[in-house]
Amino acid sequence: MKTTKFFLIVLATLLIGLAAAWGINQALARGNSAPAATVSPIHPTFALRDESGENVLVSAKPISTMKTCGKCHDAEFIASHSFHADLGLSSYGQGGSNAWDTSNGLFGKFDPLTGRYLSQVGDERIDLTTAEWLKLYGWRVPGGGPSLTSRQGKPLASLNPSASDPETSILNPLTGNTQAWDWAQSGVMEMDCFLCHFTTPNNTARTAEIQSGQFAWANTATLEGTGIVTKSGNSYSFNTSAFDESGNLKPEFILVQDPANANCAQCHGTVHTDPANPLTVTACDTTQPQTAATGQLIAPERISESGLNISGKANLGRSWDIHAERELKCTDCHYALNNPAHYQEALENKPAHLTYDPRRLDIGEYLTTPDHNFARGQSAQFTVAPELKGTMRRCDSCHNAQTAHTDWLPYTERHMAVLACETCHIPQLYAPAIESYDWTVIKTDGSAQTACRGIEGQSTITNLVTGYKPVLMQRKNIDGKTLLAPYNLVTTWFWIYDDAKGNTRPVRQVDLQAAYLENGQYNAGILATFDADKNGQLSDTELVIDTAAKQDAVTAKLTALGLKNPRIYGQVQPYSINHNVTRGEWVVSDCETCHTASSRVSAPIQLAANIPGGVLPEFVKDSNVAGSGQLVKNADGSLSYQPMPANDNIYVFGQTRINWIDWLGALAFVGTILGVGTHGTLRYIAALRHPKHAVKTQKVQMYDAYERFWHWLQTISIVLLLFTGLVIHRPDIFGVFSFRYIVTFHNVLAAILVINAALSLFWHMVSGQIRQYIPRPRGFFDDAIVQAKFYIDGIFKHQPHPFEKTKDSKLNPLQQATYFGLLNVLLPLQIVTGALMWGVQKVPAITNLLGGLPVLAPFHSLVAWLFGAFIVAHVYLTTTGATPLEAMRGMVTGWEELEVHGKE
Amino acid sequence: MKSNKPFWILGLIGILAVVMVPTIIFWPKTASATSDPWSQMPTHPIHVDHKDIIKGPFATPQDVTKACLECHPDAAKDIMMTSHWTWESQPVSIPWRNGEEVTIGKLNQINNFCISAQGNQKSCMNCHIGYGWQEGDEAANLQNPENVDCLMCHAISGYAKGSYGNPADTVDLAAAAKTVAIPGRAQCGKCHFDGGGGNGVKHGDLDESLIYPSENLDVHMGRYNFICTDCHVTEKHVVKGRLLADNYTINPSEQVSCTQCHAETPHEDERLNFHTQSVACQTCHVPAMALEDPTKVSWDWSTSGKDIGDDHFTYLKIKGNFVYEKNVQPTYMWFNGSNEYRYLLGDKIDPSQITYINKPAGSIEDKTAKIFPFKMHLANQPYDTGMNYLLAPITSGPGGYWATFDWNDAFTKAQERMGLAYSGNYGFTQTYMLWPTTHMVQPKEDALQCSVCHGENGRMDWKALGYPGDPMTWGGRFSKK
Repeated sequence: MKTTKFFLIVLATLLIGLAAAWGINQALARGNSAPAATVSPIHPTFALRDESGENVLVSAKPISTMKTCGKCHDAEFIASHSFHADLGLSSYGQGGSNAWDTSNGLFGKFDPLTGRYLSQVGDERIDLTTAEWLKLYGWRVPGGGPSLTSRQGKPLASLNPSASDPETSILNPLTGNTQAWDWAQSGVMEMDCFLCHFTTPNNTARTAEIQSGQFAWANTATLEGTGIVTKSGNSYSFNTSAFDESGNLKPEFILVQDPANANCAQCHGTVHTDPANPLTVTACDTTQPQTAATGQLIAPERISESGLNISGKANLGRSWDIHAERELKCTDCHYALNNPAHYQEALENKPAHLTYDPRRLDIGEYLTTPDHNFARGQSAQFTVAPELKGTMRRCDSCHNAQTAHTDWLPYTERHMAVLACETCHIPQLYAPAIESYDWTVIKTDGSAQTACRGIEGQSTITNLVTGYKPVLMQRKNIDGKTLLAPYNLVTTWFWIYDDAKGNTRPVRQVDLQAAYLENGQYNAGILATFDADKNGQLSDTELVIDTAAKQDAVTAKLTALGLKNPRIYGQVQPYSINHNVTRGEWVVSDCETCHTASSRVSAPIQLAANIPGGVLPEFVKDSNVAGSGQLVKNADGSLSYQPMPANDNIYVFGQTRINWIDWLGALAFVGTILGVGTHGTLRYIAALRHPKHAVKTQKVQMYDAYERFWHWLQTISIVLLLFTGLVIHRPDIFGVFSFRYIVTFHNVLAAILVINAALSLFWHMVSGQIRQYIPRPRGFFDDAIVQAKFYIDGIFKHQPHPFEKTKDSKLNPLQQATYFGLLNVLLPLQIVTGALMWGVQKVPAITNLLGGLPVLAPFHSLVAWLFGAFIVAHVYLTTTGATPLEAMRGMVTGWEELEVHGKE
Repeated sequence: MKSNKPFWILGLIGILAVVMVPTIIFWPKTASATSDPWSQMPTHPIHVDHKDIIKGPFATPQDVTKACLECHPDAAKDIMMTSHWTWESQPVSIPWRNGEEVTIGKLNQINNFCISAQGNQKSCMNCHIGYGWQEGDEAANLQNPENVDCLMCHAISGYAKGSYGNPADTVDLAAAAKTVAIPGRAQCGKCHFDGGGGNGVKHGDLDESLIYPSENLDVHMGRYNFICTDCHVTEKHVVKGRLLADNYTINPSEQVSCTQCHAETPHEDERLNFHTQSVACQTCHVPAMALEDPTKVSWDWSTSGKDIGDDHFTYLKIKGNFVYEKNVQPTYMWFNGSNEYRYLLGDKIDPSQITYINKPAGSIEDKTAKIFPFKMHLANQPYDTGMNYLLAPITSGPGGYWATFDWNDAFTKAQERMGLAYSGNYGFTQTYMLWPTTHMVQPKEDALQCSVCHGENGRMDWKALGYPGDPMTWGGRFSKK
């Protein structure tokens, strides 16, 4: 008991401490003010050690995190269980979407935004060697993995410097040749524990060391500003005042914590918490990768209170991210996979009878060997760590979507089955995001032509920030199911060429610069072709390959550099959007957003304002969405992606139209109207010419009360069903009607119709009246011809109806045939297709067996058109009684004046 | 056959019923209908222009009252039963005085602003709704209905108080009387905005910015142009609402509350509705006070009397040093609507401690208490070092401290006039007063967000409130453990 209590107190202190550390760091991490460090209330003091395990106070060598933290924690285990460290090294050689991709991670997978790629052994031209890769990306490489180990698994420091090996060389941009890189001299980067676990890591100082090639000192530099180390010359000295007499750090310098959002933000994107300091961002700033690529940023602040010049900002009382608002942090969802507090066993791994397995790591074991593979979703950074996909808690691990939606969302199960939560809960991104990068040209500062969506201009403070609506794509989940989910599409164009070995590689930026520039300015050949206004400068509108002449000029330049078959290539990279979730009134909750002609589901997204070289981009092959829509070249020269839900076998009521069905149906309907109109006119003319002589009639009780009841109930049901169905089919035309209520009304009417039909069938069978509906087989065709002749001829001459209408024989042969078809074909078809469409929420398997909504729904529409046509004809034919309204009156009152058929 | 006509109509009705009834049953529910706050709004009498009703001129202010009473015969009788007139609460049994029954109010008690109205009638009667109350004559003065000052609340323009509650000499009584109407924010605000000796001094959530409030200042008064009596519902001159500072216990039925109009759990978000068990509406919806005009947060009487140059916001010779602040974050305490303690003249103090003039009642154990925002005012005010109780100096009027700057004289005079014994030695001690922050209400767009209180950046001191830690992670007091 006592130990439990003690444990709880310790745990409580730990949690409070971590929360405190996180919270305060949050507030201070991103502001301009000097960050204040929070001392860990629980982490014991420790000595800083070098790579041989000696106290750095003695050796004055760079800190080895593996030796320092590894004193207590299983650093080996941590480094080997972390895709943050691995970054694709372990999958090196597996290749990827592009021919020049060598892995699935940052180390080897081409990033078209930087335009640089990792060179392989044997590449004709060298772009990024390992050392240069580290210099370029080091600011977001936490160390370990490829910054420690070679592609063959050897320690980098053990490799012999060699100018011919991309692992042990670096490109000299002045000569264009590689020169040897001595890893033993530059040192390597161990996984930097401080970067994520210190309250005030100095990534700026760390990055400076990396960029200057002083890899060994990078981790030590992370502590600059804490008072523990001071930069002196090319190395760092340790401040003895930070250490006690036994060589351990003094408690006030133990700034260790559970990673805070700000730690993650150093490499992933914008995080903002300081309420006193409104949020600002730089549009499409690639130092905030996820914010730049998607517009997602993590802040509890209301958008209306941010510092961005957002359109309609005053009314945006929602927070940037509901989870940040509610004090969740990155690690709450992206937790260490063996964290006993968060870890959840996969359903398929546990016996069916067990809901919770309490046998977990105890906290001590976890703190010694925390798995640094973190739970991840299955879309963002799609190719990375595929074995961990879907380990993260999903929305439905924490939220009970059913209870939150069933009381208002019709077809809840169906919506959940086809829509990702994000689709409705992230309706809009309010920060700008990258739209396109055009590396087919290059600016004099070596950058690409870029375009940013969601902003009119560049500055988020002085230009209007409009944000953007993400495009909805079919995301294929690891469980094989497909969901509609929001994405940003980033399109890039760049030159590729074939090297001597026939390998395709992107044209290096050094080569592109050589083709375009001379002494930092555009060369004469380029100017001659590109400079339309001849002012010696290339404006943004001029610096684009929009003519064959420009393309030829650059091709010629590149060819002259020895690049074979240089050509423009474009690709579209989908970036999944999962953060910046909102709730309540901010969520898409009105049916009309999707169930209408201008549906959200098929809303296009602009890919680029122009199409360099006219080359249409391709979707990358290694993502979980298929670009099943169309690339649309717009009249203004821009390129859009138009989702085509129909191509994905998606039927969205109100949005999807099968044109030929509607045309066919409308044709039948209008044809019937024209037919009966013509017939009626002719009858009218005939009646004028030959006034009808009085016919002898007699009043007969034609219809029982029940017959009239079911008939009129069916009439009302069908008419209302046709109307409500039309509203559901074309809600954009009937905007005054609420889609949601109309759907419910339609379903209720359908139920009434089915029940009424069943009861009346029962009545007809029991009363034997059903016999009236069964055509007599014998002589039926002759009779039918007689009746048809009457309609095309006799009726105009006031001839009597060829078949007497009596209470026991109400239907003439043509009617019998019509009703036979109507009741045995059309009505059952309509009931079955309708029921299955309704059943898509309850028994989707059966519906899908019969083709699913894409088949059933158009069928249902077609039959509805035919019903409409029937009603027109049916109503018209009631006017052929003794007087035009007599049959109608009969059906209302039950008594009808009938012509007396004499047998003269 | 003819009888068929009504029959088919019956059939039609039957058919329509068959269609309508299931439709109504299955009709999708709209978002749960929240209660309509507007339905609880009081209606005010239609304004009657008194321009032609009032016949002047009036020789004395009492003549005006007499004229009013001709048509409103009960008005004086009604209002003379209210604390607006009596300046004291109903008698209440005081536990720390062995159940002695006392009343509390400006009539007989002190605060930590100007300290005492008693003995300072010349100035303080500016805010009494009567005429001519002088030191020692309350028995006679307060019995006379003609002394009721109708104009003070009802004259919309042309009226101001002078000395001893009488109209200023410049006032044209007849002209002022012609403007009478239902009191607006400016009329109530004359005393309630300027209490403590100036605009915004006392409350923090009430100041002159509310006379013409912007939408962002107060959603009720700014966006919807509420007047005070829309919430402080008034019947027979009894204005709903009790001042915490001048009461010991307050019956909730006498207090104004948000739930007069709003539902107990009005939020669409269940998580927010859970909060209403322990968090007062004001806590989130009044994130800060003194939004436009600053309020006094501390006052040091001990430095008064020096000729070091007066500045309205920092130092006045007659009052000492003070600190004004704008956009003040409230102090949060458990509060069940009453005081746990209200200092009564003569109560012994421990001068080494900060004395609470009033201390709101409530704790985490008190299920009726909620976390509530307060303005905390810290004063350094005189006490009798011999008697160990707080002193009430005579300040205004001839011979008062503001004329003589002689504390001893001010306390000796007080002994004569109020009977508060003075040992001859005084010192200064610190005191707190707590004023509930309940105006300057913000709509949901500007209410506090989770992280303002929760997380370690939060403004709540959870430990001080009695929680083991942030209830977001530790669970609230109603959570099942």
